Amino acid sequence: MLAELDKLLGSCVFEIDHCKDLKKLEGIRVAVFGKNGKITEKMKYLKNLSQEEKRSVGAKINEVKSVIIEKLNAKSSDLEMIELEKKLASEKMDISMPVDIQSFGYIHPISKVFSEIATILSGYGFRFAEGPDIESEYFNFDTMNMPEYHPARTMHDTFYLNMPADEHGRKLLRTHTSPVETRYMLKNKPPLRFFTIGRTFRSDYDATHTPMFDQVEMLVVEKGVGMAQLKWLIKDILKKFFNLEKLSVRFRPSFFPFTEPSAEVDINYSIVKGKMIFGTGDKWLEIGGCGVSHPNVLKAGGIDPSEYQGIAFGLGIERLASLKYGVPDLRNYFESNEQWRETFGFSPVDL
Amino acid sequence: MRFSFNWLKKYLETEQSIAQVAESLTAIGLEVDDLLDPEIAFKNFKLVKIEKAERHPNADRLQICSVVDGEGNNHQIVCGAPNAREGLIAILAMPGAIIPASNEVLKKSKIRGVESQGMMCSFDELAIETESECDGIIEVPEGTDLKTSVADVLGFDGGIFDVSVTPNRGDCFSVKGIARDLAAYGVGNFIENQPKPCEIDPEILTNVDYEDETIFNYAPQMSFRVIRGLKNGESPKWLKDALKNAGLNSISSIVDVANYCMIDRGAPFQIYDLDKIEGNLNIRFSYKNERFSDFKGEQYTLNSSILISEDDSHEPLCLLGIKSGAKIACDENTKNILIESAYFKPECIARTGIYLDATSDSRTRFERGIDREGCVNALDQVSCMILEICGGSAGKIFTIGGIDHPKISVKLTKSKLKSVSGCDIEWSKVKEILEKLGLSLVTEDNMSATFTVPSWRHDLQIEEDLIEEVLRINGYNNVQEQPLSVVSVGEDSCLKDFYQLSNLRKLLASRNMSEAVAYSFTKREFAEAFRENRKLILIMNAITTDFEVMRPSLLPNLLKTAVLSLNYGERSASIFEVGHVFADSCLQETHVSGIRIGAANSRNWLNEKRNYDVFDVKKDFFSMLNFYGVNIKNIKIEAKAPSYYHPSRSGAVYLGKKLLGWFGELHPKINKLFGISERIMAFEMLSAINEVKKKRQREYNNKIFPKIERDFSFIFNGQDAVGEIVNNVYKLDDRIAKVDIFDSFKISSTQKSIGITIVLDAVNRTLTEDEANEVSDKVVSYVENLGGKLRNQ
Repeated sequence: MLAELDKLLGSCVFEIDHCKDLKKLEGIRVAVFGKNGKITEKMKYLKNLSQEEKRSVGAKINEVKSVIIEKLNAKSSDLEMIELEKKLASEKMDISMPVDIQSFGYIHPISKVFSEIATILSGYGFRFAEGPDIESEYFNFDTMNMPEYHPARTMHDTFYLNMPADEHGRKLLRTHTSPVETRYMLKNKPPLRFFTIGRTFRSDYDATHTPMFDQVEMLVVEKGVGMAQLKWLIKDILKKFFNLEKLSVRFRPSFFPFTEPSAEVDINYSIVKGKMIFGTGDKWLEIGGCGVSHPNVLKAGGIDPSEYQGIAFGLGIERLASLKYGVPDLRNYFESNEQWRETFGFSPVDL
Repeated sequence: MRFSFNWLKKYLETEQSIAQVAESLTAIGLEVDDLLDPEIAFKNFKLVKIEKAERHPNADRLQICSVVDGEGNNHQIVCGAPNAREGLIAILAMPGAIIPASNEVLKKSKIRGVESQGMMCSFDELAIETESECDGIIEVPEGTDLKTSVADVLGFDGGIFDVSVTPNRGDCFSVKGIARDLAAYGVGNFIENQPKPCEIDPEILTNVDYEDETIFNYAPQMSFRVIRGLKNGESPKWLKDALKNAGLNSISSIVDVANYCMIDRGAPFQIYDLDKIEGNLNIRFSYKNERFSDFKGEQYTLNSSILISEDDSHEPLCLLGIKSGAKIACDENTKNILIESAYFKPECIARTGIYLDATSDSRTRFERGIDREGCVNALDQVSCMILEICGGSAGKIFTIGGIDHPKISVKLTKSKLKSVSGCDIEWSKVKEILEKLGLSLVTEDNMSATFTVPSWRHDLQIEEDLIEEVLRINGYNNVQEQPLSVVSVGEDSCLKDFYQLSNLRKLLASRNMSEAVAYSFTKREFAEAFRENRKLILIMNAITTDFEVMRPSLLPNLLKTAVLSLNYGERSASIFEVGHVFADSCLQETHVSGIRIGAANSRNWLNEKRNYDVFDVKKDFFSMLNFYGVNIKNIKIEAKAPSYYHPSRSGAVYLGKKLLGWFGELHPKINKLFGISERIMAFEMLSAINEVKKKRQREYNNKIFPKIERDFSFIFNGQDAVGEIVNNVYKLDDRIAKVDIFDSFKISSTQKSIGITIVLDAVNRTLTEDEANEVSDKVVSYVENLGGKLRNQ
């Protein structure tokens, strides 16, 4: 009996080992463990045996049974794996086919520089404020220490609008962002730090001028701030903006009615293979204007100039964008075609 | 302000080179825009004498010249000038020289087989304007030493500066003023060079009348002098050169002297041909609508507040301080003259100049402020020079009015200097700088000093002005930098709004729209098309008709921008702008607008090619609403878009009563206006979006209960606004979490089939089948009440 069982085990293992598909394997399982299966038969036979034989033959049957089950299970997962592989192989797709990639639009370089500057300035504790594009003579000129018949006021080439004048004079398109300084000072008490960014307008249209352009302007009003802090601040801002540790900044005396002393700000560059490289060389490029706020400007903003001093710095956005990102021709900023936007614009993840 | 280096040396004793002086000028705020440095401009140019000139063997019109230079070196030059001849001294450009006319570097060359080691230059090639009619190369006067520098031969007087003078520095519209600033900076010693009074003939009388004393409000002082018996001819070469280098043409010796003195010391003059004045000269204010024509024939209509001179004819002769008339102009027959040297108030000249839109060198100087006390000195200088060059005898100076302007004193405190500059400048240095600039110390104590300001510095009025002078001359580079203190600020809500717009840009760019920035003004006809019933804001002094009206919408300039791409063969345009619009009721409002024209996608095996339609811009608009946290369920669309939209393919978007914007196809009249053939889709989001309250966040529940989905198929009338019905279905029951349309097709011209799917969710428990049925019944009966029919019944 025991020998029979060994023989059965042998033949089963042989069959399982040589089985090639899941159906046949199931046939083997039924042939062994089914109603009339070989092991089932042996189990039925057990009842005819003595108690002692029952114990030894029973143990043997269980042993054979578990070996076969184990074999069956192992074979079954092997075969399943093979069948799955076959199925997957049959599902082949030509993944080389080109797809319609989601294309994206481009962010205008002015917006890009806006947001870079805002990020840099908010780091110094500057708060952001905006003012109207349509201004009055009073805010645009008078509060900026540019009295009516001052040559500096005439030099601004102002656009005037067909709107009734009010107590603040005629309506015009602001020629600079400076009137926002006054508006901010009138609403906020010193010490204060603020900046503004926006469109400005002057009646000038040629290869290097557009009648509309953008400015960023910042103002610090604190006790005892002066040229020393102004120089530090501007240098720090420009280094961050151009991402250059070594940038040299030159402060050149100049004149703005709203600052006293006033300076123009230059950065150094050299020309290498026809390209401007900033932070090297001994050529200078003008980049903005700055100065210590004129006492009349603080007064117009409701601030006592004997107590507080102000420092201010203003820059042209298009110029910054042109210098940092090599955008040629100022006019294209406002008259762009798709190719220009693709070349000089920024992907949305870069904003 | 242009002038030569040699002229500057009249007032400045210096050893420095022109390049060094130029650098100093820029460093003290007198920015050098252009510099003609002879060392650089005439490098590789020299004088040569033609020793032999022979005919070129291969060309009739060319000569082969053998020339010798100052060092005795010989060069062979092929020359085509007819005047090239033996013995002529010429200007040779050698290889490496930059030819001014072409801005190109000269190279050694072979001309018709003969080597030429340079080029002998004409005035044209050197870009020099000349009256000389010499045809060919420049003929340098015989006997000139060949070692003389070419710049000197050409009369460049040591080189030329072109300085841009800031409007506060009236005093630097003169060579003398510039020299004074340079001397203060340490470039050399200032030479006062005060003119001496000229010899006077007591027989010569001068008389000028004036209306009344009100003229002194305009012209506090006017000084006159008559010179008789002179001869007006050609100016000497040195004077012509000096003026040419200053950018002025030589006219006649009298005019040239007056111009020279104006540039020299900053005071403009008016010179009358005395014999052309009928009777006496009289100074008065103009009459309203009085006409004046200047010496060039330019016509002006005056108002009643312009100071003029007249004679007995009562016609205005000159607009004082601004323009000279033709009648009294000096010519070659002029024998007797009247010179006027005056001080006009800057604001009066500026007002007249602006009113008449009249510019002149004289106005530039008077409106910036000339030396208040310099009229007589200037008159002496100009008279002496005229006597010297034109002969004649001068009468006594006749003055009306007088300067009683008090001397301005300004107190400079050490503490203010320290706090504005942030640096310690030695007090003795401070005083030295100010004194060199012409200020005089009045009183001084431990804390401060008081200075009087010279009569030529109109810009020094307050302490800060003096501080600027000290820093400017001491050098801005000597100001030590100090970091700004660190401050912490709370949330900046304006900056948050700014970043929100940045993120909105990202959203639209991710939706394949490119950002444009267009002008804030546009053409009138474009603005009219987008005006609706609003009043347009016009620019009164527009430069071109393209920029005449403030844009009442972002769309016209976006369309103009799109045309730029479409005309260059792009198949589509999708652009947006975030910007301001202007019209009467809203002076400035931020809009976010976009347009989509043409192909919505490229041809690809994964999708069918199609053009943009209304639903693309609706999607743009609703994506933005979603981005802003607007509860879409509360949005209502009404057919109330402006008239530039297609009347049956557009909508106005409302949240309650608040108008958030419009979207749709644009009206064909807009296509016509812009010359765009494809249909234009557009959206405009108004700034009201910023006032919208954000959607409330749902309470978080970390248990998830199964949702139930139900589909319905309804038949609607073809005219029904299905979107509105869908929106209302939302409101039928709280348990309706989502309503969507999964299918839509036309059955007939009057009927359409719409498949609606709803998702039911009780959020905090499992819905029962009964509940689902109950909600479904509600939906069906609601839709049936509106005229829809359930299809599968």
